[in-house]
Amino acid sequence: MATWTWFHRFGSPPWVYGFARRWAPWFGGAALLCMLIALYGGLVLAPADYQQKDAFRMVYVHAPAAWLSLMIYTTMAVAAAVGLIWRMKVAHAVAAACAPVGAWFTVAALGTGMLWGKPMWGAYWVWDPRLTAELVLLFLYFGYMGLRAGIEDQAKADKASAMLAVVGVINVPIIKYSVEWWNSLHQTATVMQMGKPKMDFDMLWPLLLMFVAFALYFAAVLLIRLRAELLRRERTASWIREVLT
Amino acid sequence: MSEFFSMGGYGRYLWPAFLLGFGIVVLNFWMAVSALSSAKQDAKRRLEMQS
Repeated sequence: MATWTWFHRFGSPPWVYGFARRWAPWFGGAALLCMLIALYGGLVLAPADYQQKDAFRMVYVHAPAAWLSLMIYTTMAVAAAVGLIWRMKVAHAVAAACAPVGAWFTVAALGTGMLWGKPMWGAYWVWDPRLTAELVLLFLYFGYMGLRAGIEDQAKADKASAMLAVVGVINVPIIKYSVEWWNSLHQTATVMQMGKPKMDFDMLWPLLLMFVAFALYFAAVLLIRLRAELLRRERTASWIREVLT
Repeated sequence: MSEFFSMGGYGRYLWPAFLLGFGIVVLNFWMAVSALSSAKQDAKRRLEMQS
């Protein structure tokens, strides 16, 4: 029973607000440090690829952005499911805080992918399964945010948008495995695969560090957005006065 | 230095990709901070109206 008490704390808005205020700067600082080292490693230290030459360096921005777009959606869906099952208001606030960040990183994944696609495939856009499924992810984020904005009653907005988030999570494995299930121009997994990654270690470490940097960055931005969301939702709560004065 | 920026002729694709990716990183952070600041101002205004 005692092991679950940590989980109960996450149901308390004032506790979560304090937690977010304490931890966001640490996550943000660590993210910046990791990002700078990974950028130097990826742009300066890593050797050029024997096939793609220096164009391969786009992996250091495209892959972390694409991975983050999926990770944020999964986080949003899990938070939405927790909100639906346990009726935890903080979980709905987490899901709401995830959506805009996830949508922006889906735009980053699509945009950087287009800029990589032109020199490699000869076109900015092709209706490839991976690209199309990623575009569907962007529409799911838009749908989630639109649904929240369109329903005035907070409880109803939470419930409806949470259902959409949970149903939409089916798109995450579709994006991940689309390159294996269907014929695709997009390359198959090079890092996230069973056994040894296909990349050389000199190219791999900056990429892995960039993944860590993006994850830390997401944690920092999520915590800042979560504080804003909690202030907006708990507008009549007495703890708001204590944290603001 | 110009060799570094040309990136073997791929610079015109690579640098806009980095600009877009890291531009979104900066923009997202700024938007989150701005949302928090505006939520704090709203909350303070409500508290002042109550008291």
